[in-house]
Amino acid sequence: MKVLVTGAGGFLGTQVVARLLAHGYTDIRCFLRDPGKAERLLALTESYPGAHLELCYGNLRSKSGCAMAVAGVSLVIHLVAGMKGAPAELFADSVVVSRNLLEALEARDDIPITETRVVLVSSFGVYGVVPLGRGARIDETTPLEEHPELRDPYSHSKLRQEQLFWEHQRKDGFELVVLRPGVIYGPGGGAFSSRVGLQIGPVFFHLGGSNLLPLSFVVNCAEAIVLAAGHPDSAGQVYNVHDDGLPTASRYLREYKRRVKRIRSLRLPYFATRLLARCLQAYHRRSQGQLPAILTPYKVAAAWGGNRFSNAKLHALGWRQLVSTPDAMAQTFDYLRQQNAKQ
Amino acid sequence: MSLKIAIVGCGKIADAHVEEIRKIPSAQLCAVCDLEPIMAEQLAVRYAVPRWYSDVAKMLDAEKPDVLHITTPPQSHLSLTRQAVAAGCHIFLEKPVALRHCDAEAVIASVADAGRKLAVNYWPRFEAPALELRRLYETGVLGKPVHVESSIGYDLGGEFGLALQRDPEHWVHRLPGKLFQNVLDHVLNKITPFLDDDHPFIQAIAWRGETGPGAAAGSELLDELRVIIRGEQTSAYATFSAHARPVGQTLRVYGTKNTAFVDYAARTVVLERKQTFPSALGRLFPPFLVSKDYLRQGMKNVSSFSHARFHFFDGMRRLLTEFYSSIEKDSPPPISYAEILRVSAMMEQIFEQVYPEVRA
Repeated sequence: MKVLVTGAGGFLGTQVVARLLAHGYTDIRCFLRDPGKAERLLALTESYPGAHLELCYGNLRSKSGCAMAVAGVSLVIHLVAGMKGAPAELFADSVVVSRNLLEALEARDDIPITETRVVLVSSFGVYGVVPLGRGARIDETTPLEEHPELRDPYSHSKLRQEQLFWEHQRKDGFELVVLRPGVIYGPGGGAFSSRVGLQIGPVFFHLGGSNLLPLSFVVNCAEAIVLAAGHPDSAGQVYNVHDDGLPTASRYLREYKRRVKRIRSLRLPYFATRLLARCLQAYHRRSQGQLPAILTPYKVAAAWGGNRFSNAKLHALGWRQLVSTPDAMAQTFDYLRQQNAKQ
Repeated sequence: MSLKIAIVGCGKIADAHVEEIRKIPSAQLCAVCDLEPIMAEQLAVRYAVPRWYSDVAKMLDAEKPDVLHITTPPQSHLSLTRQAVAAGCHIFLEKPVALRHCDAEAVIASVADAGRKLAVNYWPRFEAPALELRRLYETGVLGKPVHVESSIGYDLGGEFGLALQRDPEHWVHRLPGKLFQNVLDHVLNKITPFLDDDHPFIQAIAWRGETGPGAAAGSELLDELRVIIRGEQTSAYATFSAHARPVGQTLRVYGTKNTAFVDYAARTVVLERKQTFPSALGRLFPPFLVSKDYLRQGMKNVSSFSHARFHFFDGMRRLLTEFYSSIEKDSPPPISYAEILRVSAMMEQIFEQVYPEVRA
C-alpha cells in the first residue's frame, strides 16, 4: 500500500514518517514544499533498508501539485496546515489546500475514492469549549465551535478544514479518520503554546495558571496518527490526542525557567485576564480597531478557561505513550536550551 | 443615502479594505467575491458581510454595487474593471494598476469612457504626515522642489514575503516587475507630485542582496533597486531595499527654501531650515530645532491616538472618504488619472531596465 504524507518535511511530518517506517510501511510518498528538509527524511531510511521513501516536492495550493501527490496512494495522512500569518493565508494554506487535495482524490482514476482512507490531523481548537464553562471535560463528543469567527483565525481555519473533510466524506464515501491533537511539542518545536501565556514585549504574561496543558509529545502524537491510520476500527472516528500525566501551565513554565532560561514573567489570574480582555475589547470597538483585539472575553474563555481532557478513546484503540511526559519534557527543554545557547 | 460597496478578491489586503470601509458612515459593504469560494466565505464570516460570491458577474448583477473594490492580483485588474464599469460601478483599485502601462491606460480609458470614477489605493499619500508635507509645499514653505528622495523597505521574512518565497507560483513571480512591481507605486507616487514631467530621464539598477535577514536560500528574486530620475526642474532618487533595517518608508524633499523629511512609519514630518544665526551659533541650534519638531510631532501623534485616529491604514480611510465623496458630489477623484498614468509609465520604464525580458 502506498501512503502519502503531506507536510512530511515539517515538525510533525518527519516523526509521522518515522513511525510509519517503524510500523512496517515500506512505500511512502513524502510530499514537502522545501527541498531543504529532505535530508532528515532520507536519514530515516538508513534504519529501514527495505523501505522506499519517494520525495515529492510541490505546493498543494496548485491543483497540479495535488494531482501529483495523490497518484496511486490508498492512504493519505494530511498534515499540511497554515500555522501562522494573516487569516487569509491560514485559510489558503489549511482549507483551500485541503479542498484541492480532496478534489484531486475525486478526480483520479487509478484507485476508487471509496477504497481510499484519509487521515486528517485536526486540532483541539475546533471544540466549542466556551459554553461548557470552566473545568469542563473535553472528549470526542464535545460539540464543535459554533462561533469560530470569535476565536483566533488558526482555530477558525482548522474548524473549517475539518468540516470540509466531513462534507467530502459524506459525498464521496471514503474512509475518514480525524485526530485532534492538543499542544504538539518536542525538539524542533516552539517553546510555548498560547495556553501557557503570551510574550508581549520583554514580558511573558503567564495566563494559563493551574490549567492542565493538553501536551502531545511529537513522537507520541505521530504514533497515535499512524496507529489510527492503520486500525480497521478507526474509520469514521475522531480521536483526541494528548499524553498522560499532563502538567499544568504553571509547572511547564517553572520547568522551562529551571531547565532552559530565566525569563521575566507576570502571572495574570483568570479573572484579571477576563477583565483586561473586556477592557481591550471595549477599547477595540470604541477606537474602531486602533489596537487589535488580541484578547476578548470569548478568546480568553476558550484558551485559558481551563479544561480537563480525555484520551480514553485513543487508549481504547491501543495507543500507548512511547515517551513518558517527564522524559518528553526533558528532551524538549534540552533542545530548547541548546537552541538558546546557539543564539 | 449610503453607497453600496462590494469587494472582489478576498486575500490578505481585503481585510484592510473591509475594516476601512466599515469606518465610513456613508458606505455599506454589501458583498464580497473571490473565484475561490472558500476565500470569499472566510472573509464574509469573519466580518459578518451579508453575502459572498465566487462569480463576480453574479455579484454585480445581484448586488448592483455603486463601488467595486478590486483587490485581486493585477493580472485581472483590466478585465474586472471593464466588467464592473459596464455594470455601472465606480472602481477602487489596489495597486499596481495593471501588468503593463498599456493595460493601465486601458483601465483609465474604460472608466472614463463609461463616465465612472476610479481611485488607486495610494494610501500613504493620505497619511497625516503626507498631508502636512503637501501643506508645506503648497504654502511655499519648501520653495520650489529641487530634489526628492523616496525610499521604501521590505521584509522578505514577513508574512507576505514568506508566502511569495515559498510559493514559486505566487502571482508576484508572474508580474513583469516581480517583487518591485507590487511595491514601487508607493515609492514613485510620492515623487510625482513634485515632478510633473511626462517623460523624465530614468536610470535603474537592481540586484539580489546576498546578506541580511531577508536573504532566502535558492531564491532568484531581485530585491534591491535604485533609481535615478531627472525631470526638467526636479530630480529624484527612488530606493527599494529588502535588506536595510529598520524596514521603513521615508521621503525627503529638498526645496529652494527648506527641506522636509517625512517618516511614514513614525508618522513625523521635520523641517530642515536654512540657518539664520551666524558662525558657530548656526551649527549649535539645529539639533534643538529638529528635536522641537519631533516633540511636536510626537505630541500630535499622541493626540491622534487618544482620538482614535492613529490606525495603520488611516490614510486609506481618508482616501476612501474623499473618493466616495467625489462620487456623491460628482467632483474630481482624489488622485488625477494623469498622475496614476505617470507612475505607471515610470514603473514600466524601470522594469524594462532591470528585467530586459520586459522590453522584449
